[in-house]
Amino acid sequence: MELDLKPLRIDSIFPAALEVCGLSKAFGKNAALNDIGFAVPEGSLTVLLGSAGAGKTTTLRLIAGLDRLDSGRVVMRGCDMTALEPKDRDIAMIFDNLALYPDKTGFANIASPLSIRGAEKSDIENRVAQISSTLRIAHVLNRLPKTMSGGERQRVALGRALIRKPGLFLLDEPLSSLDAMLRIELRAELKRLQRDLGATFLLATPDFSEALAVADSVIMLRGGRIVQVATAQSLYDDPVDREVARFVGTPEINLLEAVYEPASQGTIRVAGASIAGLTRLQKSLPKGGGPFEIGIRPEQLKLSPLEAAPIQARVFDVEPLGLRSMLTVKNEEAEMRLVIDAGAVQGYAVGDAVGINVIDANLLAFDTVSGIRIA
Amino acid sequence: MSVPKLEIINLRKVFGNGSVVAVDGIDFTIEAGETVALLGPSGCGKSTTLNMIVGLEDPTSGDIRIDGRSVVGVPAGKRNVGLVFQDYAVFTHMTVFENLAFGLVIRGRPKAEITRAVHDVAELLGMQKSLKLPAAELGGSELQRVAIGRTLVTKPAILLLDEPLSNLEASARLAMRRELRRLQSEIGLTIIYVTHDQIEALSLADRIAVMNAGKLQQIERSSVICEKPDHVFVAGFMGSPPMNLLRGEIARDGAFTGFRRESLFIQLPPSEINSGRAGQPIILGVRPESLKLALADESMIFGKVTIVEPRGPEAVVTVEAGAISLKAVVLAAGRPQEGSNVGLIADPSSFVFFSGETGRRLAS
Repeated sequence: MELDLKPLRIDSIFPAALEVCGLSKAFGKNAALNDIGFAVPEGSLTVLLGSAGAGKTTTLRLIAGLDRLDSGRVVMRGCDMTALEPKDRDIAMIFDNLALYPDKTGFANIASPLSIRGAEKSDIENRVAQISSTLRIAHVLNRLPKTMSGGERQRVALGRALIRKPGLFLLDEPLSSLDAMLRIELRAELKRLQRDLGATFLLATPDFSEALAVADSVIMLRGGRIVQVATAQSLYDDPVDREVARFVGTPEINLLEAVYEPASQGTIRVAGASIAGLTRLQKSLPKGGGPFEIGIRPEQLKLSPLEAAPIQARVFDVEPLGLRSMLTVKNEEAEMRLVIDAGAVQGYAVGDAVGINVIDANLLAFDTVSGIRIA
Repeated sequence: MSVPKLEIINLRKVFGNGSVVAVDGIDFTIEAGETVALLGPSGCGKSTTLNMIVGLEDPTSGDIRIDGRSVVGVPAGKRNVGLVFQDYAVFTHMTVFENLAFGLVIRGRPKAEITRAVHDVAELLGMQKSLKLPAAELGGSELQRVAIGRTLVTKPAILLLDEPLSNLEASARLAMRRELRRLQSEIGLTIIYVTHDQIEALSLADRIAVMNAGKLQQIERSSVICEKPDHVFVAGFMGSPPMNLLRGEIARDGAFTGFRRESLFIQLPPSEINSGRAGQPIILGVRPESLKLALADESMIFGKVTIVEPRGPEAVVTVEAGAISLKAVVLAAGRPQEGSNVGLIADPSSFVFFSGETGRRLAS
């Protein structure tokens, strides 16, 4: 079965920091991973994105050598690591549930990987100072973990992993236990840190906004399989199927039943309206017409004067989100979400009749049954 | 004039022989039927405030009044306030019905009353069909609903929710927010949310009370707090990303008055703020959404793009020039490359100014 492997993808003349191919893993009868293959370029930040149970953590654990794989290979910088012990793989792994030494100070925790290896004291001090200032934890260096906040402990754990310079960092939801504010702040820091260190990160997260914000490249997992590999922006603009479109973007994309009627001036029937002039979408739809599912991002729907708008509906819910608001509207055919400026939402109350127009840009079309993207 | 539902008067809480001031003299009132969020970073004092309202902690000084009557010294169980924790504290060995009935059973209410109250609440929460299910079989958002229902059954005067959505998955959170908004409008309860998540606060509350370091920095309607921060802390906390804040001074450059920080000089139109403030420390605030990409010769600031964070329809761009770092929100289609040099410009009418000393907003 060793001969059955697919050829490695060659992205450049330099071997990738990590390549995995044919990775499979079952727990009992349940397949957790099914023939996963991807490459992580040197110095990049690659994200494994997927909901709980997609196989993110299993992938990381197989790469680290913490679980035995059923089949496949793990190759780092051209060297096959598959048979090596975890400690010999030159990998640092950061989990979401952090384990710090409870009886050691922040400094000793961060320094421990270097102390164990017998590094120079001055070198250790310099590195700890540098890492702790980047992570903004200089103030906890003399404190024990039990006196730190959750966020501080998380950053100390990050610092401890970052102080080494392994060939690859595996991060399993590294920010998930932090405050919303701190999470947004630290993810920018994490990306900067990765750049500055020139390190290679493979980060797993269920949070698409985190993935979009930090990733050079995103590997979208679902049910133990890779469904799409793309840059963060193209995952949003060009999802391969309905589920990716739904997973990426907030508020969620509007998915509505639609019918393309090429014979009647190319109108598209959606949400109880017949809309002409969506020429960009029409061009890429199957020539014969027929039913499909249209994907409309909330920002592609605009409020318009009632009499001039193709779609009429009533306001069902108004959710303020700061500078913008989300409006949920309904009619007999469909429920739709719109994102509009907070100032513009003031005049609308639940139950009001509103007109809605569809902007002919970035509209997506999916096969009604399979959910595969068709345009 | 009706009596406010809840009045917090100069409330203080000091721990450890006066060494830690958790809540530092806060005042606010909440009207009946109003929904207010206590929002702030961890350690800001919001949970301590909540605990004092519920009766889990005694205030060091100050007063808490519910319906005009002081409840300081009244035991937690007798204040008629309901508290829902983030860890749902639902008894998983009981059915949904038994969970919902629990508060009334321990109060020794008659069986008929309990049954009626449980069914009313179950109807409100859309859980009539789940009443016989063991709680162990419920998912995260259903557990949360049971936890809320269990409190509602006792008909509290005020409902307090501590980080009610933080244990839910992102998609469930969205649905639960809508559910909570519906509940609020249907039963007209007075509700206080404690949260560190501003989206939660914005989406659920009529007004938001932003706390920091034990102090109440601002209490303002959710719809306008992002646009009208009163204090530099609120400006730096609300919004994603929050407002850019630059510390500098009002300075003169020949005939022009403007904002100066090191080599950066931004000319300002004459206004009450800059007249007579030359040389004074000031903080300039500009929202990331107000900054636009511009050509070098017309830009306010010119620097290097260090980070581009795509968000779908738009991207957050960090531009650094010397020691100054600014974030701008631009459309995804027009986003610059990381490492490129770009100019940024903003309409001076979108600037807000804060005192460099007190952090308070300067009236314009």
